[in-house]
Amino acid sequence: MSKRLIYILLPLLIFAACRSDKSKDMNFSKEFEVPDSVIYEGDLEISEQAIDEIVQNISSPVEIAALIKAVGVPYSKDYLATTDYVDNYNTSFKQALGLGIFGADLGYQNMYNKTGGVIDYISAIKTLADGIRVGQFFDFTTLKRLATNNQNLDSLMYISVQNFNQMDRYLRENNRSNLSSLIVAGVWIESMYLLSEVIKESPNAELSEKIGEQKIILSNLMLLLKNYERDPKFKELIDQLAEIQELYKDVTITYEKGEPEAVEENGMLVIKQNDKQYIEISNETLFKIMEKTVEVRNNVIQL
Amino acid sequence: MRNVYIIFTLFAILILGNSNKLLAQSGQELIDICNMVAGEDATYLKDFQIKLEAAKPGEEPPVARHSVVLSKNTKYRFSICNSKDFAGEAILQIYDNNRLLGTTYIVATGKSYPSVDFKCTQTGVYHIWVNFKEGEQGLAVALLSFVERF
Repeated sequence: MSKRLIYILLPLLIFAACRSDKSKDMNFSKEFEVPDSVIYEGDLEISEQAIDEIVQNISSPVEIAALIKAVGVPYSKDYLATTDYVDNYNTSFKQALGLGIFGADLGYQNMYNKTGGVIDYISAIKTLADGIRVGQFFDFTTLKRLATNNQNLDSLMYISVQNFNQMDRYLRENNRSNLSSLIVAGVWIESMYLLSEVIKESPNAELSEKIGEQKIILSNLMLLLKNYERDPKFKELIDQLAEIQELYKDVTITYEKGEPEAVEENGMLVIKQNDKQYIEISNETLFKIMEKTVEVRNNVIQL
Repeated sequence: MRNVYIIFTLFAILILGNSNKLLAQSGQELIDICNMVAGEDATYLKDFQIKLEAAKPGEEPPVARHSVVLSKNTKYRFSICNSKDFAGEAILQIYDNNRLLGTTYIVATGKSYPSVDFKCTQTGVYHIWVNFKEGEQGLAVALLSFVERF
């Protein structure tokens, strides 16, 4: 009798023990062990917690791509970084930076619903994500299926952006904010490159102002990166970005405070900030910044 | 016979443990729900998963704080979704460097909004505070979405 019970219960026990829990709970990232040598163990100028507070949404692959599309500039694949040499991204530093570069390019393609070349980019992103051991957060299979079938393009954008957020969160929660910062830097550099190339082809006041306001974003990014400047590779990147920052000294940003107001529009609460921000950037400064940005970006992709 | 008891006990622990997990609402489910709450005209940018303990007697309710960079001439949408597993109802507040700009809960009317649109006119760092009404324990997701340039 007891043996029979064992025979019945044992397979059930094994099944229960092996069953995967596909749902991800709030602490999903803690399910994975902190891997390899890429944990940053140097002294930090600011704490990991402070970094966590600074880093959110510094550069988004969605917003600049949306702006480029909104001003009516046609899509061009010539602006994109090639994925042909993804194997050359062979250190965690290069892989994290590359993830940001290709992430921005993926956002640009998604914004224009251009799924033709997307598979090359999601493949490259998967390779780089695996390289820094965050590939488990990049849902390559679903993204590839969506891109191949040219369907649910909104889901393609949603899943890919969310996957990047999950990688970012996991890296920060596991004392690997150095890599998270590099992804953010990669997204920013490539977004600036896209803006610069678009302005060269189709000059536009709104896009030029967008370059000007990046003075604020770059100062936050530099604060983040300088935390790791004792690492020679970081120092090299910081020095290159510092050259852009130097050019931004000629960009003037002034403010005029307004009173925020909340109004209900069609049942939706809308908060109007009512502050004003003026960005003054001369054509000469604009072109100097764009030129330097292109130089830095091309250096980065040829690391 | 002792082996039977051991196996039966292990079996019961595993089944009960897993059934708990199946009933609980996962963070991912909450993000997906919140993305639907944000609406089809909104493009997901970020999510903040917030879990706070109940306020201790005589103490201020716990608050989760996050900072985001937002761009001028852009309409963003902040959506807030509560887990059905906890009683707490989340309130989201948006601050610039020194003042409250808006919230999902209007004290004067007692009305809560699942989403608020924020028409940003100044590029910079903004602070998102989330707490639960009356300091209750709660679990929520706050979602930041891009709506449009204006």
